[in-house]
Amino acid sequence: MSDALPIAGGSDVRRYLRGLFGRHPRAIGIALALHVLAAAAGLAAPRLLGQLVEAVHDGTSVDHVDRVALALAGFLVVQTVLTRYARYRSQVFGEQILAELREDFVDNTLNLPIGTVENAGSGDLLTRTSRDVEQLGWSVRWAIPEWLIAVITAVMTLIGAVLVGWWVLLPCLLGVPPLVIALRWYLARAKDGYLWEGETYSTINASLTETVEGARTVEALGLQQARIDRVDDDITESYRAERYTLSLRTIFFPTVETAYLIPTVATLLLGGWLYLRGDASLGEVTAATLYVQALIDPVDRMISILDELQVGGASLARLLGVAQVPEDRVATGRQPVDEKIDAADVRFSYVEGRDVLHGVDLSVGIGERIAMVGPSGAGKSTLGRLLAGIHPPRTGSVTVGDVGLTELPLSELRGHVALVTQEHHVFVGTIRDNLALAVDEAATDARLLEALDSVDAGDWVRALPQGLLTKVGSGGLELSPAQAQQLALARLVLADPHTLVLDEATSLIDPRAARHLERSLAAVLEGRTVIAIAHRLFSAHDADRVAVVEDGRITEFGSHHELVAADGSYADLWKSWNS
Amino acid sequence: MRKLPLDHPGQADARTPWRFLRWTILGQWRTIAVAMLFGVIWMCSSAMVPAIIGKAIDTGVTGRDSGELWKWAGILSAVAVVQSASGIMRHRYAVTNWLTAAYRVVQLVARQATHLGGTLSKRVGTGEVVAIGTNDLSHIGNAMDVLARAMGALVSFVVVAVILLQTSTTLGLVVLLGVPFLLLLLGPLLSPLQRRNLEQREMMGHLANIATDIVSGLRVLRGIGGERVFHDRYSAESQKVRTAGVRVARLQSILDALQVFLPGVFVVVVVWLGARFAVQGRITAGELVAFYGYAAFLVLPLRTATEAANLWIRAFVSARRIVRVLALEPEIDDTGTLTAGPPENSELVDRASGVRVRPGTTTALVSDPPTDSAAVVDRLGRFADGEVTWGGVPLDTVPRAETRRRILVSDTGAILFSGRLGDQLLTPPDRPGHVEDALHAAAAGDVLDSLPDRLDAIVAEKGRSFSGGQRQRLILARALAIDPEVLLLVEPTSAVDAHTEARIAERLTSLRAGRTTVVTTSSPLMLARADQVVFLEDGVVAAVGTHHELLDSCPAYRAVVTREEADETAVAR
Repeated sequence: MSDALPIAGGSDVRRYLRGLFGRHPRAIGIALALHVLAAAAGLAAPRLLGQLVEAVHDGTSVDHVDRVALALAGFLVVQTVLTRYARYRSQVFGEQILAELREDFVDNTLNLPIGTVENAGSGDLLTRTSRDVEQLGWSVRWAIPEWLIAVITAVMTLIGAVLVGWWVLLPCLLGVPPLVIALRWYLARAKDGYLWEGETYSTINASLTETVEGARTVEALGLQQARIDRVDDDITESYRAERYTLSLRTIFFPTVETAYLIPTVATLLLGGWLYLRGDASLGEVTAATLYVQALIDPVDRMISILDELQVGGASLARLLGVAQVPEDRVATGRQPVDEKIDAADVRFSYVEGRDVLHGVDLSVGIGERIAMVGPSGAGKSTLGRLLAGIHPPRTGSVTVGDVGLTELPLSELRGHVALVTQEHHVFVGTIRDNLALAVDEAATDARLLEALDSVDAGDWVRALPQGLLTKVGSGGLELSPAQAQQLALARLVLADPHTLVLDEATSLIDPRAARHLERSLAAVLEGRTVIAIAHRLFSAHDADRVAVVEDGRITEFGSHHELVAADGSYADLWKSWNS
Repeated sequence: MRKLPLDHPGQADARTPWRFLRWTILGQWRTIAVAMLFGVIWMCSSAMVPAIIGKAIDTGVTGRDSGELWKWAGILSAVAVVQSASGIMRHRYAVTNWLTAAYRVVQLVARQATHLGGTLSKRVGTGEVVAIGTNDLSHIGNAMDVLARAMGALVSFVVVAVILLQTSTTLGLVVLLGVPFLLLLLGPLLSPLQRRNLEQREMMGHLANIATDIVSGLRVLRGIGGERVFHDRYSAESQKVRTAGVRVARLQSILDALQVFLPGVFVVVVVWLGARFAVQGRITAGELVAFYGYAAFLVLPLRTATEAANLWIRAFVSARRIVRVLALEPEIDDTGTLTAGPPENSELVDRASGVRVRPGTTTALVSDPPTDSAAVVDRLGRFADGEVTWGGVPLDTVPRAETRRRILVSDTGAILFSGRLGDQLLTPPDRPGHVEDALHAAAAGDVLDSLPDRLDAIVAEKGRSFSGGQRQRLILARALAIDPEVLLLVEPTSAVDAHTEARIAERLTSLRAGRTTVVTTSSPLMLARADQVVFLEDGVVAAVGTHHELLDSCPAYRAVVTREEADETAVAR
């Protein structure tokens, strides 16, 4: 049932980036200009030192030395100040871009089609929310600026060197082929290698987490040695990955370093030869050698950040992918004529060719209560989702007042049918926040408390020192499962749909609390059409009609007493329960 | 390279964090020493490059001797090759050191977790132990990794200082005193920067929590509305993070600029003094170039030293956490004086509650609240100490391993582990076919049918890919497959539907026929199948009998297992 979310393609990522940068031409321009100027100021030192060496060789005064040293100091101050503002501007810009990126992502997440949300499970989305946002943050805050600075510094240093003499280009070009070959070889392998490596650490982590969180189970089942072996096996795999990436670096690093060496030695030799021929001065040779040496550091940084950028790009692609989930419903604008829910010849499959519902017909009267019972895996929950308009049926129809549920815009659908599952998430925030999301923020306290009262939760909420403003969710007051469920029910009262689909809403709560909750629930159900997927037979007994779902079909349908009298599978179950 | 992981991580010295770090170093001192050696060669050959370029300029260029030029160019190449070779060797050994230490931490913690068993979660937050696996292992690894570079930095710093001292005491002193002084200058800026960084990181953590909260509750949001509210809340927090980031940038950019400025000052001073010496003829033009090179080079040891200090502070904090976990001892001691337990089919008696478990039968425990019966199971299974006798002998005199082998507890905290499903379903060696029976009894056949690879299917972490009901049935099947002499089950069917529960109740009792089984439950479907039902009030036995006997004779029992309103049904019958 778990469909992976899409990942954006290269061209989509590029288009998004162009749009993003296009919105801030001024900020980019200023940051880049400052970086270029700072790098230019940094180029003075080798040039001045070259002149100094020549002056010393030709004989000069201490005064001249002092003046050159002063000039060096002057350029240093200029470079420092420019660096300060260049860095500041680019970091501020980075924070802005990052904020836009993550806000866009959350916006897209909040607009995900409801069927996708129900299907995909939260695992993939959670990874994108946490790891990819963090990875991208690292890239934008650190990798991209460092890389840009390295590129600018390298280009400016090269310009500085060429200004000394065009001949410096020759030795530099000699270093390019080995560098490019090594880089292409490395980058083709590095990303996968590091991803593999990262995965092995996630596996180690997962095994360790399981061992720690399941320590009691480990003890009960005597799994000590099995867990130890498991962790050791994970480490063995991690070590294999580590050795692989290490072997990549063992080839790549020395090759690159050799590539750096070639220009330095060649500059020295070529410069020396030119000096002997009288075509270059001593100062020029010195400055050229120092420039070429100064080139190594930015080029090295430029190269070593490239694989970081690859990983950041992959994260961006995953974040943008969330926006590419196609909408699963098109509003037709038709209006329901009444509140009656009908399903006719409904077939549905999660995986093509494997129907889980085989032609279900169900007509629900307004205000009627229907309980669905049946063994797990029979298709009860799937049918419930279709009746709540989460998925469109493959064939057949599910309608409210003769309009297909998936023809209604989501905001309108919510007013007709709501699905209540056993997942009762408590949002971080106040109790008020948790309730108001079903209506609007301006809802009066009285209205919220009224909703809480109707589900029997008014008393404990009022008893809290801060009442509705009590912080709940992780880090706040911890609510019992029953209380959390009451909040969820109060939300329903506020959203006020005429039909409710309840999926195992009380199964995970201890029986006493469940009985108490049923009373809360009874208040919510009052005056609504209810389709309940029942684990416990209490609810089936109270229902107007009971549908027994087996193997994707409704095999028995009628009132409790009719079904007991009919002596089918429901009757058997009821007897064993009440014998 | 070393064979990793180590077959046995050894017995860590967990008395103090420092002792733990020392123990870690001593355990791999050979590879650390080799890494340091390569680190020294690597850094020193880097330090020699400026001198060689200086020589080449002096003898080759200004000396107008192309032979000398070639010679020094050759030496430069040779040194560069040594540098690159020792560099990669240092890296390889440093990675080995990182891995050895990090893997060892994981091995130690995993072994300690299995040693502590049920005690672990009572003594320390599991999150804290898990954090060792996510963060602390790399901090310990980094501390080992950096040793080689730190040693190289130290030695090369001394070498350069000596060379400069030989040329001029002033220059040498500038280097020897100037470099540490520069380090100190950066100090006052670092702590406010770290504070702002921490502030921003906390806000980022908060922001990530909001995002996680949105994703976890997305079903609710999409089902009932509230997207706008959450979007606005996220945006507001996101903008706070951005503002905090700008505050960081203000200081960070100053630090970045200072990292240009301070070494730059150093270069200017060295070049200025060097040039004055050169004018006076005390040093040559080439040596002046070399001085410039030294000054630029010294930035590297300077950075390494700061880095090493930071890494070791973090490693210390991590070691503290590791030591805390490693020092724990299981609370169920294993001082059993007997060599073996009582004979098979001995009676288990819990004195505190008065529960007697008749051997070879299925006993159901019912209590209000259900936690009372779970506590009885904890004592009977010796996950908590209590006055329990087994065949007349106190349970705590039986060796723990013997108790675990013969009495199996499967409670609501039991988890499925990730990996191949079949590997979790362990059977007694002589009954390999028992897995099928166990799966059938737990009504888990349909779970298996939904998996294309059946028993070869890979279970996700903690069985997340299964629904609550599926997970519960697989956990039950796992306990049944082991077929222990005494099986204690806590609420084994709380998450399954009535149809399935009815099947399990029937099959479970027939599979366990003749074996001792205790089930805590309040479901009539399960209770009707038990040989005897024990009803607890306030944690002590209030009534014993069959389900039907108790329904008739004990109103309190009836109130717990059926709904009060069920009276009308009784009348209707």
